[in-house]
Amino acid sequence: MSAELRAILIIGSIFFCIYILRQIRHSKFKIDDSIFWICFSFVLILVSVFPEILIAGAKKLGVISPVNFVFLIIIFLLLLKIFLLSRKVSDLEEKIKRLVQTMAKENVMESENKNKNFK
Amino acid sequence: MTNQDRLLLIIPAYNEAGNIEKVITGLNEKYDYIIVNDGSMDDTAKICKEKQYNILDLPINLGLAGAFQTALQHAYERGYDYVIQFDGDGQHRPEYIGGMLETAKEKGYNIVIGSRFVTKKKPFALRMIGSRMISFFIQLVTGNKILDPTSGMRLFDRSVMKRMAYEADMAPEPDTVAYLLRCGAKIGEYPVEMGGRELGESYLNFANSIKYMWRICFSILFLHIIRERKEL
Repeated sequence: MSAELRAILIIGSIFFCIYILRQIRHSKFKIDDSIFWICFSFVLILVSVFPEILIAGAKKLGVISPVNFVFLIIIFLLLLKIFLLSRKVSDLEEKIKRLVQTMAKENVMESENKNKNFK
Repeated sequence: MTNQDRLLLIIPAYNEAGNIEKVITGLNEKYDYIIVNDGSMDDTAKICKEKQYNILDLPINLGLAGAFQTALQHAYERGYDYVIQFDGDGQHRPEYIGGMLETAKEKGYNIVIGSRFVTKKKPFALRMIGSRMISFFIQLVTGNKILDPTSGMRLFDRSVMKRMAYEADMAPEPDTVAYLLRCGAKIGEYPVEMGGRELGESYLNFANSIKYMWRICFSILFLHIIRERKEL
């Protein structure tokens, strides 16, 4: 890996980390949601500073190019995150549905009560 | 009780059909209270409505943080000066409520924790390791020693109530207490005893305890330090 590429990776991952920390500082990110991203950005910094870790890992598993190994790991992590996110979305949809249904039923009850008073 | 120190008990209830009646009867109508039914799957809401208990009935499950926050907003908007977080499962005993309130008023504390370990030593059980760790981290970060950080019986005054009611990430958990201490809240502990759980299932099995510990410790040590300090 060239020195330039390595420098770009290190700077990029540090900026990513700072950006996430700033979001947390201004309470724009919930704790539970931020844990994943903090760990992720730390791992990015770690491997950009010490790429030897990944190179050794790639050799051990017989992956010819360490870059492929990096892709493999990151794709796996992102897949996992997408899966969790999509589970969360369906959870949210279900909750909104129930919320709307509850509100609608309460409105019916109110208007029924009013009608009773008219009779 | 005068109008100057109105106290509201907040009783979060998730599937507490078996316990809620006993908890409310135990209060003997001495205190204002509000039950927050956090979208229970059992008859908690039905029982409360039949008995005409004060209840905030959430149509969906928000989790403890969201449920508690709903009640905090209610308390703040109704002008209460103090709230006490009081479990719906019968572990907390009403006879200590008065003492906690007195302590807060006399000493000017913003938060009073109903603590099991002021007079008694902490037993060396597995679950107490977690409690010790959290105590240690809170002391490390804020300099305050809290003997029983995981106690669920806590009193908050109006200034803390306002923060917790309208900001994100303010679950009634030890990490929030640590953050509030950094914001300048004064904290005291009042000795209480707690009973065991009577009916229903405890949320804290082994896997959940580990998850809880990890989340709380990470949050105390890391996130709440990064978080902007806003004075109370």
